[in-house]
Amino acid sequence: MNLILAANPFTPGQTGTPEAVLFWILAPLAVLAAVSMIFVKKAVHSALLLAWVMITLAIFYIAEDAPFLGIVQIVVYTGAVMMLFLFILMLVGVDSSDSLVETIKGQRVMAMIGALGFAVLLIGAIGRSYTGFAGLTAANTDGNVEGLAQLLFTRYVWAFEVVSALLITAALGAMVLGHRERSSERPTQRELSILRFRPGSKLPGAPLPNPGVYALHNAVDVPALLPDGTPDPSSVSRVLKARGDVLDTKAFEMHTIEEGEDESK
Amino acid sequence: MNFVAPVINYSQVLPILIVLGTALLGVIVEAFVARDRRYQIQVPLSIAGLVVAFVWILKIHATTAITAESAVAIDGPALVLQGAIVILGIAGLLLIAERKLDSSGDAFVAQAAAIPGSEAERTATLAKLTQTEVFPLTLFAIAGMMLFPAANDLVTMFVALEVLSLPLYLMSGLARRRRLLSQEAALKYFLLGAFSSAFFLYGAAFLYGYSGSVGFRQIREAIQTNAGNDVFLLTGIALVSVGLLFKVSAVPFHSWTPDVYQGAPTPVTAFMAACTKIAAFGAFARLFYVGLSGARWDWRPMLTVIAIATMVLGALWALTQTDIKRMLAYSSVAHSGFILTGIVATNKAGLSGTLFYLVTYGFTTIGAFAIVTLVRNASGEATHISGYAGLGKRSPWIAMLLSLFLLALAGIPLTSGFVAKFAVFSAAYESGSTVLVIFGVLTSAIAAFFYIRLIVLMFFQDPEEDGPTVAAAPLMTTAAIALCATVTLVLGILPNSLVHVIDAASRFVF
Repeated sequence: MNLILAANPFTPGQTGTPEAVLFWILAPLAVLAAVSMIFVKKAVHSALLLAWVMITLAIFYIAEDAPFLGIVQIVVYTGAVMMLFLFILMLVGVDSSDSLVETIKGQRVMAMIGALGFAVLLIGAIGRSYTGFAGLTAANTDGNVEGLAQLLFTRYVWAFEVVSALLITAALGAMVLGHRERSSERPTQRELSILRFRPGSKLPGAPLPNPGVYALHNAVDVPALLPDGTPDPSSVSRVLKARGDVLDTKAFEMHTIEEGEDESK
Repeated sequence: MNFVAPVINYSQVLPILIVLGTALLGVIVEAFVARDRRYQIQVPLSIAGLVVAFVWILKIHATTAITAESAVAIDGPALVLQGAIVILGIAGLLLIAERKLDSSGDAFVAQAAAIPGSEAERTATLAKLTQTEVFPLTLFAIAGMMLFPAANDLVTMFVALEVLSLPLYLMSGLARRRRLLSQEAALKYFLLGAFSSAFFLYGAAFLYGYSGSVGFRQIREAIQTNAGNDVFLLTGIALVSVGLLFKVSAVPFHSWTPDVYQGAPTPVTAFMAACTKIAAFGAFARLFYVGLSGARWDWRPMLTVIAIATMVLGALWALTQTDIKRMLAYSSVAHSGFILTGIVATNKAGLSGTLFYLVTYGFTTIGAFAIVTLVRNASGEATHISGYAGLGKRSPWIAMLLSLFLLALAGIPLTSGFVAKFAVFSAAYESGSTVLVIFGVLTSAIAAFFYIRLIVLMFFQDPEEDGPTVAAAPLMTTAAIALCATVTLVLGILPNSLVHVIDAASRFVF
């Protein structure tokens, strides 16, 4: 019995070797992801990197004997919040991009210097004063979830209840900012089709052409060629165009027929 | 494990609960009542809720207790500030509810989701749509503001901070006129506010690391017994201060103030300028006087420097403004510096002076902004200062009232502002911060210059040819202005009654 206890590396309040290995592998990755989250250009990539940071944090929480926090981190942040981010990105559209022009000259450099200074100050202060773990065993005596529940429904019950006001405000605010009531009737299919065939209409009467379907290439990212051999931009999805994923049609285009050339050839 | 049910004395937190409950009723009204009836229900409902809350505050005025598992402290300062916030909230609501001033409706956009300048916006405006959601949002903000100065631990304080801020972020972006400016203001306020909240939270974590608790009493005891790690304590104080100094718009965390005050709909600006300042300084005082009082030799130098910077820079920047809302915003920055003088005093006179200052400042500010809503031209409010030239000849009453509020802001005798300034400066002098008093008096002189410059402009210059006109003041705005002007005058001439009440109440419970 004593032997087993002595061999157990998981004495509470101390970092075991497996935990250290886990930390030194995941922490640099988390920092890397967090930093690149700021620097990548596309919002979707940013969101995915953020999800990675959050998952890493969740693993750390679990490794540090806070299983509830870890699971909540995954369920709420990685699950719900990140999905909301992606929903928003989807609604706004991947083709909308932020302007990266600095309106205040040298702002980015100044901000970086400030952030670095702040980080150095904080790391210096924390590093100097680190004394070790305290209170983990006491906090988890009756089990991690039970301990949290006890606190949440006694000591912090007031704050816990008041947060509901915050959530209602957020929901109400989202409605105010996002909900648009139609002031006019939505046009019916009949009206739309009459509109399309009216003279001078910019919309084609027929459906839009499909993207390119060729002997050489068959994909959504090539514009269709019209009967006269020119590519039709309306045949490719707007989103693909915005992402810059549309292939060049030059290779597939028909050569213009030169004068005097025999068409029957 | 034994579960002991938490004890909450509902009578003591009832004012907050009444306001929250009214806000919830307002949300239900939004959901179920026909569009054209909502306004008629929301306005009386909101005001009735606030009145009942105020009556209850009067009923429990002698309470000194810690309740809700020591999350909330109901004591003299908390009740004085809650009462002030509720009354000023009513004045703010009256301005928000005003629909007679703008030819196309109230001060809020017809449909926030419509893109500025778009066809959808035009049709929404023509259809006379309105967003009555602002009433429950205002009530949520008021509830958060009432909890903020009563919060007795850092977690409750943080939650209250968010509850009061979120509706304000939203409402700042809902102006009917100059919508892009308003949306920019809301976004700036939101991003910077979120950032400062993060600082606050980080600081709270450090204070927890220092004392092993977020409760103010435990932090106080930890400091007295010198129990924890000083680096954690100092880092915690610094970071928590950032979050609170942002809310009171002290230099160097003030940069959002002019933009937000200018961009937000003026009734919201009035409400937020008065009530946020009261709530935030109340929380500030409780944290520093109860939780961190043992470390006062550490934070007093920091706050002294910030107070001086806030007074000097706020007054100087206000001098250069040409927009009256921006000018009042910078003047509000300068006033934060004056109020900080009272906090830095760390004596009983300092606390009661701060409380008195907050109450009087709230009434004066709402009054001044209410008058800004009245001076209009074809495109809405005429906020450029040149529009105020000759106002005294066109509408002497309005010009005289605005002069009264400006003189009170400047701290001229016979107005409430003088008594308030005298109270905080004498408290600072008593505590030995002579430097602060010198800077305070000097910057008051600078500040008086730009207030009086505006008064001179109003009375001794000829009006512009096609200058703005003053709307015949409609009922609700008139009521708000009358309330504010009466309080400003009465407290200037007979301050004793309120001074005694506040003196008796100036004792924190812990």
